[in-house]
Amino acid sequence: MSETILVVGAGPAGLSAAHALASVGAPVVLVEKEQRLGGAPILSGYAKLVPSGEWAKDAIGGMVARVEDDRRISIRRGCTVDALDGEAGAFQARLSDGTVVDAGAAILATGFTHFDSINKPEWGFGTYPDVVTTTQVEQMISSGRGIRCPSDGRKPDRVAILLCVGSRDRQIGREWCSKICCTVSCNIAMEIREELPDCHVYIYYMDIRTFGLYEQKYYWRSQEEFKVKYIKARVAEVTSNGEKLVIKGEDTLVKRPITIPFDLVVHAIGMDPNVDNPRLAPAFGIELERNGYIGKANAYGTLGETSRRGVFVAGAASGPETIDDSIAQGSAAALAAFALVTQLRAVAA
Amino acid sequence: MPIHEKALIRPENLLTHDKLVVDGVDVSGHWSTFIAPRVVTDYNERLQDEIAALPGGEFVHRCWQCGSCTNVCTVNAVNPDFNPRFWIYLIRMGMESELLRDKDIIWQCVSCNKCTDACPRQVVPEGVMKATARWLELKGHTPKSSSTHFDEEFSEQVIATGKIEEGRIIRNFFARTGQPLRQEWLVEMAKRIARRLPVKLGMVMGFAALVRPRTRGWAKARRAIEGHVAREETRRRAALGLASAAAAAPPSNDSARTG
Repeated sequence: MSETILVVGAGPAGLSAAHALASVGAPVVLVEKEQRLGGAPILSGYAKLVPSGEWAKDAIGGMVARVEDDRRISIRRGCTVDALDGEAGAFQARLSDGTVVDAGAAILATGFTHFDSINKPEWGFGTYPDVVTTTQVEQMISSGRGIRCPSDGRKPDRVAILLCVGSRDRQIGREWCSKICCTVSCNIAMEIREELPDCHVYIYYMDIRTFGLYEQKYYWRSQEEFKVKYIKARVAEVTSNGEKLVIKGEDTLVKRPITIPFDLVVHAIGMDPNVDNPRLAPAFGIELERNGYIGKANAYGTLGETSRRGVFVAGAASGPETIDDSIAQGSAAALAAFALVTQLRAVAA
Repeated sequence: MPIHEKALIRPENLLTHDKLVVDGVDVSGHWSTFIAPRVVTDYNERLQDEIAALPGGEFVHRCWQCGSCTNVCTVNAVNPDFNPRFWIYLIRMGMESELLRDKDIIWQCVSCNKCTDACPRQVVPEGVMKATARWLELKGHTPKSSSTHFDEEFSEQVIATGKIEEGRIIRNFFARTGQPLRQEWLVEMAKRIARRLPVKLGMVMGFAALVRPRTRGWAKARRAIEGHVAREETRRRAALGLASAAAAAPPSNDSARTG
């Protein structure tokens, strides 16, 4: 019987879970495979976050500092879990550094992997240097270098953002909506217009899914205040005329083919299941759902249960998720794990 | 193969070949008729800004193409080519040549403002139609409409004297639009008015027609209005990339809205 709760992954969900558990006095072991905590927002160098507009290094950096400064949390950096033996209340987690951690429950906050645009070769990524991803644009902004064409460092006069790259695409086996890319793209479009007021930004979309309150704050505002233009078209290919990139597709609103020159083309890349999931699933003895994300046992009764009792999941590990919802799910999974361990201890006593 | 989009086929896009060789194969007589592809090759970012610089066009950039305006449109119900949603899109994307194809029907907007009520984004499509019709006039794509002539005559009189004199407006309006003054309905109306008009009122009207009285102390107001109209006109012409106002027509229907 162990009171310790193992948290795997130190992104927004894992940081949130670890902090919540420490706050109620539960011993926490936080395992992170990278040397640095913070997950995608920190490791991938995100700029200003949706919806608060705070810089990732401040907002998520603050969560990292809170966990690092908490002596109740034992952090294992550069470490992964090879196997989880035992059962709920008495797990033994074998870590890659050779140690074994006794834990009453485990929370998987193992996150996602950014879609690799090389899998959509017709859209020019990997062929033309000025075809970049939203992550690269985030890095251009967060590094302070600004929006520049990678080929020659010039400021672009015209930028195209292509939505649903690696999402909603059966051709490449990705049938899900990645949930955040529309909002992130609106945000990026406004940031580009803010830095380069003479630069025209076009967003090529199938649908716009800036759900909830993001509708007004991102979609409407990007049009009304920042004059970002939206074109309903699924782009067929991105090529080059030797001077500029050329987008080809069909403008479905005027029912006409388009071949439009651009300086910079941005792929709004989706969220893939973590590439480690095929290894994580047998290590933790859990099932993945059909797309490869970590499966949830139920949707309403309790939050964050997986197919194995005592193993919980939070954040984008179980499907595309926003940062703020990942943080909320981290807290929810922490409560569920803490309640289970407390209950098992009472039964044992 | 069936033709899916017959609506897109315009006579000028039909290419007919008496003799046609494709890849060395003579296909004359079989494939003599083709439809020229109509590819959008660029966006003209200026067009939206130009329309937005004219009264009524300010909110054109808000449109998200739901089609509510076209759905409720009074004119669209009788003329399916009258499609505000489509024109707003052309303006947003700068497809000027495509917009010009419809230059002779855009002015047909009857300003019922059903679109204004229906629009979820407060684009004010009716205003965009007005601005677009005005843009077509200013750019010289369409002649001045009769209503523009009327507005100009009306506002020029008001600006000059602070008053209007109906007889003069009608005379000058007919002159501007090249219509004869002696129109049957007008003669009939004048006859009937004359039959019942009180003598005193007739004298007042006659006096006004001959003397052209002005509102007392009008000069100051006139200078202010003319200055404003000139500034607005200069701003708009600059926004449209046209020659300065001095070279242009005297104050026009703008003053009816802004003065």
